[in-house]
Amino acid sequence: MTNEQGKDTRLVLRIGHLYPQLMSVAADRGNLFAIVKRCKWRGIKTAIDQIFVKQTPDFTQYDLILFHGGADREMEVAARDLQAKAPSLREAAEANTVFLAVCAGYQLLGHSYKPFEGPELKGVGILDLHTEGGSTRFMTHIAIECEFPECGKQVLVGYENHSGRTYLGPGAQPLGRVLAGWGNNGKDGYEGAVYKNVFGTYLHGPVLPKNPWFTDLLITRALARRYGQVELPPLDDSTEQEAHAAAFKLAMAFKGTVSAIDATPWRERLSPGSASRSL
Amino acid sequence: MADYSKHGGGGISWPSRARLALAISAGKLAGASGRLFRIGGGTSLPGMIARRIDPNVLRSVMAATTASKIVITGSNGKTTTARMTAAIADASGRRVSHNRTGSNLLQGVTSVVVNYADVFGRLDSDLLLFEIDEGTMPVAMPEIQPDVVVVTNIFRDQLDRYGELYSVAKALDKLLERLPETATIVLNGNDPQVASFGQQARAKKLYFGLRTTDIGRPVPEHAADVIRCIRCNEDLVYEVAYLSHLGLYRCPNCGYELPPLDVAATSIQLDPRGDGPTQVTMQTPLGQLELTLPLPGVHNVYNAAAAIAASIAAGFGIEKVPAALSNIRTAFGRLEKIQAGDQTIYLAFVKNPTSFNLVLRLIAQHPGEKHLLLVASNTVVDGEDFAWLWDVDLEEISPQVADVICSGTKAEELAMRLKYAEVPLDRVRVIHEREAALNAALQNAGPGGTLYIMASYTPTQELRRIMQKRGWVKPYWEE
Repeated sequence: MTNEQGKDTRLVLRIGHLYPQLMSVAADRGNLFAIVKRCKWRGIKTAIDQIFVKQTPDFTQYDLILFHGGADREMEVAARDLQAKAPSLREAAEANTVFLAVCAGYQLLGHSYKPFEGPELKGVGILDLHTEGGSTRFMTHIAIECEFPECGKQVLVGYENHSGRTYLGPGAQPLGRVLAGWGNNGKDGYEGAVYKNVFGTYLHGPVLPKNPWFTDLLITRALARRYGQVELPPLDDSTEQEAHAAAFKLAMAFKGTVSAIDATPWRERLSPGSASRSL
Repeated sequence: MADYSKHGGGGISWPSRARLALAISAGKLAGASGRLFRIGGGTSLPGMIARRIDPNVLRSVMAATTASKIVITGSNGKTTTARMTAAIADASGRRVSHNRTGSNLLQGVTSVVVNYADVFGRLDSDLLLFEIDEGTMPVAMPEIQPDVVVVTNIFRDQLDRYGELYSVAKALDKLLERLPETATIVLNGNDPQVASFGQQARAKKLYFGLRTTDIGRPVPEHAADVIRCIRCNEDLVYEVAYLSHLGLYRCPNCGYELPPLDVAATSIQLDPRGDGPTQVTMQTPLGQLELTLPLPGVHNVYNAAAAIAASIAAGFGIEKVPAALSNIRTAFGRLEKIQAGDQTIYLAFVKNPTSFNLVLRLIAQHPGEKHLLLVASNTVVDGEDFAWLWDVDLEEISPQVADVICSGTKAEELAMRLKYAEVPLDRVRVIHEREAALNAALQNAGPGGTLYIMASYTPTQELRRIMQKRGWVKPYWEE
């Protein structure tokens, strides 16, 4: 059984969870669960600080910072508050702290976000990118291919739900190449952004539980900051792999659709009971 | 076809009448054959067929009727609120037409008139009661022209369908603004967002909710949606939170606070085992009511308050309320208790973190270890994005879990969610096929045992159909 506490390694991963309530629209707290549990199962302790509006901690104390999605309204509140946090966040990014920023969090790590309606929001400027609101929303399953020195080519699966179109500058690398779905802007075929240990993505799902390789990459890099290279003992990931495979299959089946809901065959609209899609 | 939409109601021309008659007849026929072949009885098919023949069918019948029209919308509680309202109306001597199976998209709403009207589009009802999905409201409202609109609450629900919470709320508020001054808007005063609706509306407003410290938590739970001030975005301060973001709130910055409640539950005694009746004292503009609600849980107190407010708005009075509500039964799949031979099944339809967490909290109060069957499927009615499973507090029940069967197209995701809620892996099994999953789960429960099923909409219907074949339940359209 894999989900039992591992033997204590005396390692502690320090996590800063930015705006845990304000920015938590798509159950992205699952990312925190994935990190905490995969550490626990290997005997690595986690210390989590929740960071709210009006607080300005020293972000360089964290090994890993989570910054998730929110609707435009929440995003406005966060953007205003972020300016006071920005210098310390930038310092942490330069000092190799790992960031996982999702959707609105991802957009706000860039230079700016211009919604479809309303005034432009200023970002933190850690990631060399800017985002513009579009008139349509990408709401569908997504799969992207990534490549990292630690793990070679790997696939990330998830669900995207955004109207923002993100454009990368020369200072940021894309996180991956879109296999199915839309990614940053629906045009250039790329998704997400990477700068040092800062990872930004549109993938909800939440992204980490179904992509254990990515969770472990984040944990390894976060630990490396204070402990050097730590070999993570392998876990039995059969449950995660099955969920990954199911999500990948869905992404491929919905490839090319802007909204997964609209794409569902009309026959199923007729009577939800009669045309069930049992597997 | 283009000139067709111009017909309002009144002087319908002969070709139009013929088309209307054809549409209603064809819809009725479709419903009858649906029931005959047991593929789902008259819930959305009649409306869909009728609309194909005459897109104006709903508008025409609505314009011709003198019955009062109540629309119930919101994220959670629509079906039960509608059933309670129907029960009060019925006890008050009104003839009610109602989409009582909860088929609440445009086709299902149209089915009400197809099923109840004669072929000339005439209705023999005093009250038309429509439960309507919040996303369907923009198209349904102009066709129905309701007298009373109830908004139960707005929770995070189906982001994959509607984008985000605020766009749903904004669209709904716009619709309420267009209601005439003869109409009444019934709003949940405990929901900071819903309570802010209709500020520019001409229609009368009635607020319902809870105002008591008998129950509740000091701060909203994590899955709460709107905890910032609607006006100034400051964090709201709660005296008490009853359910997610519903509670007694106030903005420390601009002073926005819950409105005076017209219909208010001021004393609530919930069953400590989460299974029995609730005692409620309800203040209303027409006097105080002492109620015994057979349905457990705080959400049903909200449903009752909403139904009472709707009944007052529609002019039924409150005399028959206690009797009507004391006999109310669970709508299908709302923690429905089913006798399956010597075993007991609780069937809960769960569609968002709020409804799932409610059910988990209720059954956590039931004594003993739990045998579970969890089913989630991605279809057009259930949604595609199941990220919200990670906002469900499965951690609260994981220590009580004896075993779980996961089924549906999202079975793997469910199993993984349980793993991260620290349910031991050897207690979790994935069985995709629905009947096999039910059988295995019942076997887990053992002779005389109890099985808890939590499922999204489509699987709830599939499971119920299996139980219906076995004679454990009636078809849901006969409920």
